[in-house]
Amino acid sequence: MNHIPIRHKWEPYVWLLPSLLLMSVFVVFPIFIVFKLSLSDISKSGIVGGLNHFANFKAAFKDPAFPVVMKNTLVWVVSVVGLSTLLGFITAMVLNAPFRGRKIARSIVVFPWATSLVIQASIWNYIIKYEYGNLNNVLMNLGLLRTAVNWRATYQIEFAWECGIGIFVTIPFVAFTVLAGLQSIDDAYYEAATVDGAGFWKKLRHVTIPLVKPSLTVSTVLNIIYVFNSFPIIYTITKGAPANKTDTLVTFLYMRAFYDNQKGAATAMSVIGFAILCVAAGAYMMIAMRKEEAL
Amino acid sequence: MKKLTALILVLMLALSCCAFAEGGDITLDVIICQYGPNTNDWFLGTGMNGTNFVDKFEAENPGIKLNLQVVSWNDVYTEVSTRISNNNAPDILNIDVFANYAAEGLLLPVKDYCPEELFNDFFPSFIEQSVVDGTCWAVPDLASARALYVNTDILDEVGIEVPTTWAELEDACQAIVDFYGGDVYPWGVDMTTDEGQAAFSYYVWNNDGGFVDADGNVALNSDKNVEAIEFAIGLVNKGFTNPNPATQTRYDLQDMFGAGKLAMVIAPNQLPSYLKDKNYEVNFATAALPVNEGATPGATGVMDRVMAFKDDAYPDQAARNEAIGKFLTFFYAPENYVGWVSMEGFLPAVNSSVAALVESDPSFEAWLNVLDSCKFYPTALDNWDAIKQGVIEVEQSALTGGDVKTLLDELQAKIAG
Repeated sequence: MNHIPIRHKWEPYVWLLPSLLLMSVFVVFPIFIVFKLSLSDISKSGIVGGLNHFANFKAAFKDPAFPVVMKNTLVWVVSVVGLSTLLGFITAMVLNAPFRGRKIARSIVVFPWATSLVIQASIWNYIIKYEYGNLNNVLMNLGLLRTAVNWRATYQIEFAWECGIGIFVTIPFVAFTVLAGLQSIDDAYYEAATVDGAGFWKKLRHVTIPLVKPSLTVSTVLNIIYVFNSFPIIYTITKGAPANKTDTLVTFLYMRAFYDNQKGAATAMSVIGFAILCVAAGAYMMIAMRKEEAL
Repeated sequence: MKKLTALILVLMLALSCCAFAEGGDITLDVIICQYGPNTNDWFLGTGMNGTNFVDKFEAENPGIKLNLQVVSWNDVYTEVSTRISNNNAPDILNIDVFANYAAEGLLLPVKDYCPEELFNDFFPSFIEQSVVDGTCWAVPDLASARALYVNTDILDEVGIEVPTTWAELEDACQAIVDFYGGDVYPWGVDMTTDEGQAAFSYYVWNNDGGFVDADGNVALNSDKNVEAIEFAIGLVNKGFTNPNPATQTRYDLQDMFGAGKLAMVIAPNQLPSYLKDKNYEVNFATAALPVNEGATPGATGVMDRVMAFKDDAYPDQAARNEAIGKFLTFFYAPENYVGWVSMEGFLPAVNSSVAALVESDPSFEAWLNVLDSCKFYPTALDNWDAIKQGVIEVEQSALTGGDVKTLLDELQAKIAG
């Protein structure tokens, strides 16, 4: 048996200490505080009192807008994550194929991701404006429209825009995660598949998808978390109006905390959101990994 | 090991220096809201004739230091409630609401720190707005009043007069629609999450309704209120207004008005300077808000406040109160206050500055008369935040087809129950 000096036994932990400290101060401790707050009485001004027997959770579930908001959150996460994954995957395939100007195309695709979300949402807000909006101006100048169209005629359409913008800004992230996966696939697999007579779709199904699956799993899990917690698009474009009909859980709880001063209910909602995310992301990861093992 | 010991010693020394550096002086934590592009410069930069509020105050009041922070209106509520949660409330706060802070025992009564001479200088009708059960908890820092602005070119071209009643308003809107088709919106409506309570007041206060009844009890579902909000929603449904009142803010409306896309808009007295700053060239006139036939007109006034938080841990309460009083005295001294109020085009809250303000800008006088007849939001109620968000939700639900009476009945039951 090799003799390991004592110093070597504790040395790894010393190196881990800074990140463990950071994690506990900036991640674990705040989570603990929010859990504690969600069970405590919080005054309108923000004074924290004693435990209140789950009154905050009862208030959250009793909130008449809560079911609408949860439905919106589901639509928001499923549509944004689902469609951006599909479109991001296609974008990655295109960017992986050799063509002239590929480098330029790749950097253009990064732009939406490299710009702050608030700025992007504000720009989109201008684009879809009825009065002097860029979309109307461009379409009218091209002769495709004769009079301006109200692109925000109903709240359902406004919410659809918000989802659309969410998809647009999320595509680059998926595209680049998948692109990294695609680039690591050895050409030999495709050559072998070609020799065996496989066409584009067969190669996609039996070579590409199984091999980029780990990258897709990572991007999907991260996306579920990012999109669920995404605040700026909805807050900039509708602020949940009319009457919370375009709110998701995150914008709604912000409104409840800082517009209505229902801080207790708001902390309870953020704990509910945390729980949903843990379950959803955990379940997805387990299913995805099980399938991988089965392969 | 020696190095480590030395480091710890140096750190301890540095920390102890921090703790004792300010002995003798009193430092006041002050939060001021950002009213416009000049606020920060005036308090902290060079906007006060080459110097700033903090430097000038500290030079004139030795022994008092100001830790003054200018915070945007978007962030101030979050900032203040976070600081209260962390037991770190500011000494002096400038904001619009006060009732929750007062109800939870966080504020000092104004009489504890405000010199009597200054207190008597405030307009009494303003001071009343911050009194709960006989105790005044805050003083007004400034006010603004809302009026109707009309694009005179549009009205002349269509050949109509400025509407004074709701019936005339509907006729005027119809005439503008007939003349321009959809190219000009006759009437601006802002029922957004940011300021929908203002729209509520424009209609209910011109129909003898209101947020509260004559006894000061919340009365949101009165027949007068239902009639008023149904009228406002009716204007939207008839196509007389901007198309998306739930998301088009007052600033969107002001821009449309400036560009000649909107014929009439209700806006604060700062609208002319807003239009000028953005280089809009539009001919306009101001008028009183249209009123329902037979009802008493009621203008909307908006007021912000200054208040002082308790700090029970401070050893010398009398010295702290005196310092806060000196801050207020300095702030409201005409040589400072006139510059502050006129800088962003607001209306004053104290008598001593009126003469100087009217001299600098004669148009102030008309606004001071409007201010005299203004009604204010019932911000002294400790559930004002729920009322405010509630009426906005009612308006937005009504815009999507909800029944105004049912919605107001539900809100009244929720607030009163």
